Amino acid sequence: MRTKPNRLSLNQLSIHKRLPLLICTLLLSAIVIYGFANYYSLKKASLLIGRERLSSLTGQFSSMFGTSAQSIIKIVETTAAQKEITQYLETGGNAYQKEALNALDKLHRDSSYVSIELLNTELVPILKSDKSSIEIKENIKSLASALHVGHDLGKVGRIYNVKGVLYYPVIAAVTDKKSITGYIIFWKLLQANPKSVAQLSQLVGTGAGFYIGNTDGSIWTDLVKQVKNVPSDATKNHKALEYTGTDGLRMLANVQPIAHTDWLIMVSFPEHVVLKGMIDFVKWSVIIGLVLMAVGAFAAWVTSHNITRPLNQLTATAAAISQGDYAVSSSGDLYRNDEFGQLARVFDLMTNQVFRMHQDLEKKVAERTSQLENVNRELEAFSYSVSHDLRTPLRAINGYSIMLKEDYDEKLDDEGRRIIRNILTNAKMMGQLIDDLLAFSRLGKKDLAFANVDMKMLAKTVVDELLTLEPGNKYSVAISSLPPANADPTMIKQVWMNLLSNAIKYSSKKDRPEIEIGFKEGESGVTYYVKDNGAGFDMAYSNKLFGVFQRLHSQDEFEGSGVGLALVKRIIEKHKGEIIAEAAEGKGATFYFRF
Amino acid sequence: MNENKVEILLVEDNPHDAELTIRALKKANLANRLIHLKDGAEALDFVFAKGAFSERNIESRPKVILLDIKMPKVDGIEVLRQIKSNEITKTIPVVIMTSSKEEQDVITSYNLGVNSYIVKPVEFESFAKAVSELGFYWLITNQCA
Repeated sequence: MRTKPNRLSLNQLSIHKRLPLLICTLLLSAIVIYGFANYYSLKKASLLIGRERLSSLTGQFSSMFGTSAQSIIKIVETTAAQKEITQYLETGGNAYQKEALNALDKLHRDSSYVSIELLNTELVPILKSDKSSIEIKENIKSLASALHVGHDLGKVGRIYNVKGVLYYPVIAAVTDKKSITGYIIFWKLLQANPKSVAQLSQLVGTGAGFYIGNTDGSIWTDLVKQVKNVPSDATKNHKALEYTGTDGLRMLANVQPIAHTDWLIMVSFPEHVVLKGMIDFVKWSVIIGLVLMAVGAFAAWVTSHNITRPLNQLTATAAAISQGDYAVSSSGDLYRNDEFGQLARVFDLMTNQVFRMHQDLEKKVAERTSQLENVNRELEAFSYSVSHDLRTPLRAINGYSIMLKEDYDEKLDDEGRRIIRNILTNAKMMGQLIDDLLAFSRLGKKDLAFANVDMKMLAKTVVDELLTLEPGNKYSVAISSLPPANADPTMIKQVWMNLLSNAIKYSSKKDRPEIEIGFKEGESGVTYYVKDNGAGFDMAYSNKLFGVFQRLHSQDEFEGSGVGLALVKRIIEKHKGEIIAEAAEGKGATFYFRF
Repeated sequence: MNENKVEILLVEDNPHDAELTIRALKKANLANRLIHLKDGAEALDFVFAKGAFSERNIESRPKVILLDIKMPKVDGIEVLRQIKSNEITKTIPVVIMTSSKEEQDVITSYNLGVNSYIVKPVEFESFAKAVSELGFYWLITNQCA
């Protein structure tokens, strides 16, 4: 028993569709998984590499600037050791002022030196160069406090924004070899040549940012102007950070301190530039993957077609064979070298075998049939012979017995007469038996000739025929309006004959024998019946009733051969019907039959 | 047997059947001019006045021929055929009396022009009755040609 699932199930699709579908799904999932895995791992790797590169770049710049800072400090320290300066400061600013001023003025090398000052030990400016173009009053105490005799004597200070312009101080301590006598401070403009800045930027890469700022993140510059787009957490981490810039781009950055200064350097890089290569790679591999998938799906479709086509062919061939057409063959597939070729060849062999077996069977059947027909013919000849040839001597026995009785009656005594009577009785019985037997055997070979039978008229005819042989008219026979039946008229007449003659015979001893012929309508059709009020029989022996030569009464009570009912049963069964008998001893019997 | 005018020709190979038939006819006083022949060949010789009966007058036809079918040498059907196909003899009434109730025999016989077909009953009384009625009819009632 095969059940049909209600929802769409994969097994309902033909293999032809299933195979490519499966392959597509497989390839697609492979591509998707591969794509995603690639994307994430490559992104991680790219970022790592980017950050490292950034870090080393920033480090390099940091040391580069650190070196520059160092050289400036050196310059300032050298200046601090100049005689004019030291002399001036040793006197506390009281003497050598003109010399000191001169020296200071000479120190303005270029326009980036905006102010050079000398400070006393309290950090109060006591002398300023004439070339100083600006007045910067900032708290530089912390800067100065970093300087010690024997250690750092010079430092670059933090960046200051004065009226929109950025400056930074370089301070050096002036000593008399023992202690600090004062300070010299150079204020420089924090600005670089835009062209060189651009070049530097280009060195780092497209879209890169390059900033210098205070360690507290208060001021940041791109060396051209102050910038505000540096994130606030660029101070604390001296490490890599990521942020989204003001233009919405995601940036990678690295912040490192510049040695000898209070500055930080930050190099930033747009993330997409770092990831560009990786994204291209993933994009291309997905495209190639999809192309491969398409190719794979096509190949799968072709293969599946190559599998289902011969399968369908085979199915069609098998269907044709099941309809009896043996002429089909698997044609083209026969010559393939693969499994289907084998299948086709073997299938062809099987077809031939089946065909041959079929033919053999037909031949055998024909042989058997002709054998059976022969046997039947012999049997017919036999029964004919039986009836014909048995009758002749029987007639002689009968005849001579009567002759004896007629011609020698007065010469015989009672015993002699009784003996002759017995001979005659038995001869008569034998004749009846032969007739019955012949009728019974002839029944077997006859084919039914169906016709519409008027059951009422047939029954009436038989009743009339039988009653003519009965003396008197003590029999009362009632026939209902029996519906017609579709049966062999001759045979049904025999049925009526046998049943009615039985009814008459077995009710002959009653004073008022009554026979009823009727019918009953049921779901399986019409049931006819013959009912009599005669001797009946014991229902315990009812199974013997229809047996050949089976009798439930002795010859003394009622004569008969015991073949009549067997004949009736055989006729009814040939009509694919059934016959049932009901009776009670002494009360009569009813025979029901339908077909 | 009176050879001057044979009224009944009985062709029957079984002597018992013959005896019973003759006895029945005798009882009905119809057996005076009866001849009993034992096979088809003899019957044909008689009817066509040949062989042992070449001195017979062929025009002297019996009033009825009682013919059995199953006989040696020439069977009843063949005798019937020959009798009924000869201009002189075909007017003789032929009654086939046989044990055979085979439909084929009946049809063939009637096709050949048999006048009556009787199946010999087993019981003697019926048989005797049939024969005497037969004899009465063909000898007395029926008008011969």
